Amino acid sequence: MRFLATLRIIELCHQFPHGITDQVIQNEMPHIEAQQRAVAINRLLSMGQLDLLRSNTGLLYRIKDSQNAGPVSFFLSKMKGSDNQEKLVYQIIEDAGNKGIWSRDIRYKSNLPLTEINKILKNLESKKLIKAVKSVAASKKKVYMLYNLQPDRSVTGGAWYSDQDFESEFVEVLNQQCFKFLQSKAETARESKQNPMIQRNSSFASSHEVWKYICELGISKVELSMEDIETILNTLIYDGKVEMTIIAAKEGTVGSVDGHMKLYRAVNPIIPPTGLVRAPCGLCPVFDDCHEGGEISPSNCIYMTEWLEF
Amino acid sequence: MTQAEIKLCSLLLQEHFGEIVEKIGVHLIRTGSQPLRVIAHDTGTSLDQVKKALCVLIQHNLVIYQVHKRGVVEYEAQCSRVLRMLRYPRYIYTAKTLYSDTGELIVEELLLNGKMTMSAVVKKVADRLTETMEDGKTMDYAEVSNTFVRLADTHFVQRCPFVPATENSDPGPPPPAPTLVINEKDMYLVPKLSLIGKGKRRRSSDEDATGEPKAKRPKHTADNKEPIPDDGIYWQANLDRFHQHFRDQGIVSAVANRMDQIFRSLPVGYNISKQVLDQYLTLLADDPLEFVGKSGDSGGGMYVINLHKALGSLATATLESVVQERFGSRCARIFRLVLQKKHLEQKQVEDFAMIPAKEAKDMLYKMLSENFISLQEIPKTPDHAPSRTFYLYTVNILSAARMLLHRCYKSIANLIERRQFETKENKRLLEKSQRVEAIIASMQATGAEEAQLQEIEEMITAPERQQLETLKRNVNKLDASEIQVDETIFLLESYIESTMKRQ
Repeated sequence: MRFLATLRIIELCHQFPHGITDQVIQNEMPHIEAQQRAVAINRLLSMGQLDLLRSNTGLLYRIKDSQNAGPVSFFLSKMKGSDNQEKLVYQIIEDAGNKGIWSRDIRYKSNLPLTEINKILKNLESKKLIKAVKSVAASKKKVYMLYNLQPDRSVTGGAWYSDQDFESEFVEVLNQQCFKFLQSKAETARESKQNPMIQRNSSFASSHEVWKYICELGISKVELSMEDIETILNTLIYDGKVEMTIIAAKEGTVGSVDGHMKLYRAVNPIIPPTGLVRAPCGLCPVFDDCHEGGEISPSNCIYMTEWLEF
Repeated sequence: MTQAEIKLCSLLLQEHFGEIVEKIGVHLIRTGSQPLRVIAHDTGTSLDQVKKALCVLIQHNLVIYQVHKRGVVEYEAQCSRVLRMLRYPRYIYTAKTLYSDTGELIVEELLLNGKMTMSAVVKKVADRLTETMEDGKTMDYAEVSNTFVRLADTHFVQRCPFVPATENSDPGPPPPAPTLVINEKDMYLVPKLSLIGKGKRRRSSDEDATGEPKAKRPKHTADNKEPIPDDGIYWQANLDRFHQHFRDQGIVSAVANRMDQIFRSLPVGYNISKQVLDQYLTLLADDPLEFVGKSGDSGGGMYVINLHKALGSLATATLESVVQERFGSRCARIFRLVLQKKHLEQKQVEDFAMIPAKEAKDMLYKMLSENFISLQEIPKTPDHAPSRTFYLYTVNILSAARMLLHRCYKSIANLIERRQFETKENKRLLEKSQRVEAIIASMQATGAEEAQLQEIEEMITAPERQQLETLKRNVNKLDASEIQVDETIFLLESYIESTMKRQ
């Protein structure tokens, strides 16, 4: 009886691919009690053959996509011996997409005790259905995601991290290369000795240009996007070596994003190292302890002596 | 006045004017304005000495006086003016670049003597210049007067306030202290003097023909008895004008560094074609430094220099430079980052600066401990629990500038002390060399032979000579360093002053 009911429901869903309400099922099979109908629907849901949706009229049951149904049935065949709990956990992990989900969050969502969760996770891992990826933000945290998914940038740190290690040398090398490129561009512009407006404009390079140059250099094993290059260029701005302007660019011009382009230019600092740091006192680590007549005083300052002998 | 400033003032006063003036001066700086008797009592010096010291200080514009009620005159020291004494070399050098040697000596005389009449200045400068010229040439008073007038026209020297002429029918007793007035218009008015004459060389009696000196001498004394035509009109150096000039210089050089071109200083006219000028102005206006802004199009475009912004940029550049030299370029990167973004969380700092978390944390804490960066707490919950509070790093430029300024004062005091120490260490040697030089000079005057001179010179052995050389070099280095630190002080003070004025 129940089997018949489930079959019938599936047929109805195929008939109405956009989904059917409970009312429709009731109309079709008036002889089945509400409880039995509910059981049948639940079974179909747990088997993954139906999707449960909410509309403004009420609940909708929809046949699951044949594509989706594919791996599910494959999964079903694999999971023949597993219990519902594992299915639940798997579902939760799948929902987390490629950002992954932390074990504690799995616990919250599934309301299962920690020991159970751990057992299930180990099981799923051994069956190669999920994998654990170490998060770069907190190195002790492990997030779980489906086995065949690429972890998202926020987890691995993107191009700057390789195996959870921040590649500072790589960043430094890129930093220097970008700066050299901008510097040489400014040099050629200066030497051309044309009128100042043209000189200044030709000393600018767009982020796209820099990106192309770096890609052509081939120093990066990982592919870098234009945004990556822009973060490097920003560090050059914070070094005070480069300035940036944004100009409006027509949509479609190479390198423009949302109607504007970022231009970068190598610049000189506006003042030379200031007077205070040319004296030993400016850099002295024990400045606060120094006073006449004390252990450390100007008269016996060793930094001064060294500096005077220079 | 902070302790560091008082210490610096004390050192300066002592070096320029001696112990007694220093004691009185420092006392006044510490205690504010006080009447004469109280000063004498508190410092334990005799009334006579206090009067003399105050005379010196007032002459040099370091102390002012005011008449209070009940006829009590109180004297007040100006600490900031005392600190300006550090900048005298820079003022003199500026005068030299603008008005060549004549201007340099005029300003030097005015600074050394505080206040002087024009005729006295002209005479003295002419004499000095004549001495440095070749034999037979003299400096004409007219030339010196011309330079003086030019200095007055450009406001580098100004008239001191003077006692107004009171009517004689005033019945009461004369006031305890004269009130000085100065009219705005009169401040740069040069009196009509016809100074005729030439500079006199300090001739030793047998360089000229024997007849002349004797004939000249009675005439010379007769000259002194003539009344000086501009008695009572005293001039002083106008320090504010010099400061304006330094400020302009600073801004111009900053822009020049950015623009990679040679700019003339303001307000001298440009001699490049108008078209190029237009482009430069547009470039300046567009430049991210934001020194120049365009306000209106009258006359083909009105351009305005945003002074406060300019000073702010210079001050931040100074701060950045100090951070870079003290802590390293990575720290400088973090510092500039927080400056630009105003408020940042720990994580954001790491991400933007592309510096590993551990290093970034270390550097932030170091800068925090030195008060370059401060922490702003934003609680999420009313109980301010640390785990539920945002901690944002931020840079407060004004307080960082003040902190750095204080450090500058102390640094200069250290440098001066070290210089005095070095001199004291080698006092014996210095005295010896001075004696030898005096002997040589007198022997040359009396016409000694080469051999004798040689012998005397050898009194100073080679290693001693080496020591003297080293000493001279060290003292020069310390002096130069003082002037350099003073440049930093100037930038920071200008910025702080400009910010306080706007508030």
